[in-house]
Amino acid sequence: MTKKRNTDFLYFILALSLYSVFFYFVMASGRSLDFGSYEPYKMVIIKGWFRTLLISLLAMVLALIVGLVLYLMSESRFKLLHYVAVIHKNIIFGTPLLVVAIVSYYLIANSMGLRNKLFVGSLTLAFYIGAYVSDIYKGAIESVHINQWQTAKMFGFTKYQTYRYVVLPQVILTALPPLAGQLALTIKGSALLSYLAVPEYYNEVNNVIQTNYKYVEGYIIMAAGYLMITIPLIRLVRYLEVKLNYKI
Amino acid sequence: MKINIKELIKEYDGQRILDRMSIDLEDVQVLAFIGPSGSGKSTLLRLIAGLEEFQGGDIAINDRWMSEEGLEDYRKKVGFVFQDHNLFSHLSIFENIALVLEKVHGKDRSEFEDEVKSLLSFLGLADHYHKLPHQISGGQSQRASIVRALSIKPEIILLDEPTSSLDPILTYEVLHAIKQLVDEQRDVVLVTHEIGFAKSVADYVIFMDEGRIIEHGSDILNNPQTETLQRFLDKVLSFN
Repeated sequence: MTKKRNTDFLYFILALSLYSVFFYFVMASGRSLDFGSYEPYKMVIIKGWFRTLLISLLAMVLALIVGLVLYLMSESRFKLLHYVAVIHKNIIFGTPLLVVAIVSYYLIANSMGLRNKLFVGSLTLAFYIGAYVSDIYKGAIESVHINQWQTAKMFGFTKYQTYRYVVLPQVILTALPPLAGQLALTIKGSALLSYLAVPEYYNEVNNVIQTNYKYVEGYIIMAAGYLMITIPLIRLVRYLEVKLNYKI
Repeated sequence: MKINIKELIKEYDGQRILDRMSIDLEDVQVLAFIGPSGSGKSTLLRLIAGLEEFQGGDIAINDRWMSEEGLEDYRKKVGFVFQDHNLFSHLSIFENIALVLEKVHGKDRSEFEDEVKSLLSFLGLADHYHKLPHQISGGQSQRASIVRALSIKPEIILLDEPTSSLDPILTYEVLHAIKQLVDEQRDVVLVTHEIGFAKSVADYVIFMDEGRIIEHGSDILNNPQTETLQRFLDKVLSFN
């Protein structure tokens, strides 16, 4: 096991080196890079990064809840709830996030008197990603084989016990990998909130670019900033998958 | 064990699967249901287990009628082994059993740990109790499923074609495990296509076809009285 892990790590380092060589070649063949001109804007960029982190975390937590509510609604016996969820999902699946963000803020939130861009932005992301999360839940719940429900029934589990001890643990494990991808999309999607002038990471770096015209350096900083959030998230999910010791 | 089935009716989507079936059995230790696929024997077993509702009639095990007792209490006294083991896929073999005993029967882990481990050893699973279902063979999973059914100390064990999805070696393992139960004087009801096995362990056999009991008795496999059973046995045993 340790030997396999060591070999895996070696290949990881090798792959990483290949990427490094590639980017070094790309950069060396172009003009020289000047990251120093971003030094004076360090604090603005860091604050923007933390805002993106906050928006993403808030949106992710809300998306998990919105997804669950949408799933329960779409499975509801009350047809009104069912169709409210179905229509929501159809609108979301068929509309770009940018359009949804602009309509949410300038039309819906405005009509409700909501002015906090950060909150409205997070909520918009949550409602957008929540539609996809709802389908992930649906797939994961349906993947729990009918046998598992029957066995729980046979052994006298109550409905609550069946969900709590049999269905939910299996749903979480099945849903984790697609959820990780969806949550990474939430983080990347937060960049579109710059159109609402939310002072998040993308917007702040972009503002600096408009000042110093160092485009390449600016976009490298952007990529690094987003990777600093998405990579730990993906690693965390992988860790949870292994920790839960399921179908490895 | 004593089993009474009275005027039992079972329908799926308006189609009658079992039509006013009645039978009274007493002092039977191993009861086997045989018959072609679609004859209603698995359905009947699931009804005896209290797994499905029926549209008319009643069932009693050891004089306790299902209609009087309520399905949930009734089910707790019955151990059921499904065709495909149906172990909870996210839990180890031991935890599969522990979950049922802790959550449904309200027992403390210290009360049952030793007993469950000795049951697992009894059926040759001593080295596998910490493994997940997908890490063991089909035969081992089926035996683990039998241990899970035994662990609740049921009055009877019901087995629904427990070897139908297994290869001959694994089938032998599971039949051997069932034989061990029989030798321990446990009451067993099984649906099976293993006619030879039914012949050797069952003290009463019911032959079903098209939702009806065609023939029943303690010696019907050696001495069939109806042409339907004779034809069935001829086909099943033709290459033996």
